Amino acid sequence: MGGGDNSAATEEGSQANDGDGVTVNVRCSNGSKFSVQIKLDSTVQSFKALLASKCDIPADQQRLIYKGRILKDDQTLQSYGLEADHTVHLVCGFAPTPAPPPTTTTNAAGLNASGASNTTQTNARTVGSNEADALGGAGLGASLFPGLGLGGLGGSAGLFGAGLPDFEQVQQQLTQNPNIMREIMNMPAVQNLMNNPEIMRSLIMNNPQMRDIIDRNPELAHILNDPSTLRQTLEAARNPELMREMMRNTDRAMSNIESSPEGFNMLRRMYETVQEPFLNATTMAGNTGNDSANPFAALLGTQGGNQARDGSTNQSTPTSGTNANSPAPNTNPLPNPWSSAATGGAQTNTTRSNASADARPQAPVGLGGLGLPEFEGMFGAMQDGNILNQLMQNPAISQMMQSLLSNPQYMNQVLGLNPQLRSSLDSNSQLREMMQNPEFLRQLTSPETMQQLLTLQQSLLSQLSRPQSTQEPAQTGGGAGTLNNMGLEALMTMFGGLGAGSLAVPNRSDVPPEQLYATQLSQLQEMGFIDTQENIQALIATAGNVHAAVERLLGNSAQ
Amino acid sequence: MTLGSGGSSVVVPRNFRLLEELERGEKGIGDGTVSYGMDDGDDIYMRSWTGTIIGPHNTVHEGRIYQLKLFCDKDYPEKPPSVRFHSRINMTCVNHETGVVEPKKFGLLANWQREYTMEDILTQLKKEMAAPHNRKLVQPPEGTYF
Repeated sequence: MGGGDNSAATEEGSQANDGDGVTVNVRCSNGSKFSVQIKLDSTVQSFKALLASKCDIPADQQRLIYKGRILKDDQTLQSYGLEADHTVHLVCGFAPTPAPPPTTTTNAAGLNASGASNTTQTNARTVGSNEADALGGAGLGASLFPGLGLGGLGGSAGLFGAGLPDFEQVQQQLTQNPNIMREIMNMPAVQNLMNNPEIMRSLIMNNPQMRDIIDRNPELAHILNDPSTLRQTLEAARNPELMREMMRNTDRAMSNIESSPEGFNMLRRMYETVQEPFLNATTMAGNTGNDSANPFAALLGTQGGNQARDGSTNQSTPTSGTNANSPAPNTNPLPNPWSSAATGGAQTNTTRSNASADARPQAPVGLGGLGLPEFEGMFGAMQDGNILNQLMQNPAISQMMQSLLSNPQYMNQVLGLNPQLRSSLDSNSQLREMMQNPEFLRQLTSPETMQQLLTLQQSLLSQLSRPQSTQEPAQTGGGAGTLNNMGLEALMTMFGGLGAGSLAVPNRSDVPPEQLYATQLSQLQEMGFIDTQENIQALIATAGNVHAAVERLLGNSAQ
Repeated sequence: MTLGSGGSSVVVPRNFRLLEELERGEKGIGDGTVSYGMDDGDDIYMRSWTGTIIGPHNTVHEGRIYQLKLFCDKDYPEKPPSVRFHSRINMTCVNHETGVVEPKKFGLLANWQREYTMEDILTQLKKEMAAPHNRKLVQPPEGTYF
């Protein structure tokens, strides 16, 4: 468009007074400017169509802003007071970001679905982000909390942001590209970094927000003092499969619960009515007698108590007979394609138990591995009721539990993963049947059962604190019969083994570069770099960063 | 430009000042990366304004459009306008409940000078979005409002 044309047209326009259209300046978000001729009585929609021919943005993606207002398609330009020579801002509505958006959008969708319970959600969200922030590396923890739309990636990127503001660029890439994230996590330098508790510590303490949280919750400091905890969370962050699976599970569970009428309220009620009394009771546990399990059950009413017994029967089933206590499955490759699902879940819980700021990660972490956060919560409660409270009030936790338990394959995986349990299953076909019975599994996942589980855990706690009394409640609950002191320990080691087993997965990412960089390789090939060997070399050198690899490849060919 | 030179030597009356801002907003003069205009063209005091910030690149805000309400009371520009986000946003200087930009946490409002304009506020907020402590904050879903 020549300048002469424009000014002539403008004059014409103003003389003809809207008859022939006026010149409107359009300013794109990338800074470029152009002018168009348009009649002021035309609709925004037709204006967009006109703009579409002038720029690359299709009409349905355009968003126009004028005088601070977003123009609506069915209004006329005149109605917004647009006049000649005024400037309209043009923004591309849906930024074409490549891979991650699906997860993001589903998360957002989940949030929207819960519209009614907005306030609760918001609270949970803040809690969530705080916790995740405090953990730094616990990016996975982030995606546990519904509000954290970006989920794990964002959270783990936060780690770097914690102390290294220069990493911002990197972070941005990280949040958009899980592969890069993984590569970074795999880089020896980073691993060294992570293995050095001092560095991690200073990283985290550098962030005032985080320091604040730690000050408020001294328990969190324990995490900082435990390098293995940090490492575990980072390992989880390294594996995109885990992350993806986990996020999907969360989303699914969330939408499941929330789509059922009253579902969300039910969850909330459950936590309010069960968890708080439980919490109080737990902290008072010292005063109650031998059968301190009963007061807890009483809180739920007689029926609840009965159900709770049933629940404990169910629950004790998988534990009975597991006596050995070595977390052997570490080195066992996971045999079936569901492995990522299973480990995804387990990892999640590992992270979560960190979030509960437990000073004794070993047993509790493992327990968390089966989606029973209340366990570690109970330990945590002794130290900080608030944290437990937050945890329990967070619907995402319960949703997570549900998603874990509602997946029969996962349950099977859990069983298969644990050699002790497997052998006990082999020797007891009834048990196996029970574990593979979808009805039973469904029962496990029902809200009632979750209540029962809470009660069970209460009773377990009382056993923990009062070993001599274990026999009695165990018999009350023991349909399968053999839950005793030994069984309890076995239970813990089993879950512990589970947690540890899941951590073995990221370690197995020492795969050949062709496999490791498969996605990047295919990307490069699509771009026209056909020399696979060269591609791999470039990818290795750039730690899997496709952009850097391309630059390297181009640089090579130019020389 | 004209405003800056005028503002330093001559005290521009409120109405002239706001008219000038109105024109700059409509015509995209100046920085031009933010957009703002009057809510009600009939309000002779020109108090209520709407501003829009397009989320800066390479931040979580990218591609989002944030709407704000600015209220220039009669003591503007001696006193800063009250600024409130209409679109939900998670930023350190924005109240999580109300969307109000808290002057204590936002330097431009805290150290207000009469030469500052609403455009300055908007562009500064935009810069704030890209600041390290804001650029990666988890944001509420797009299209929700305070």
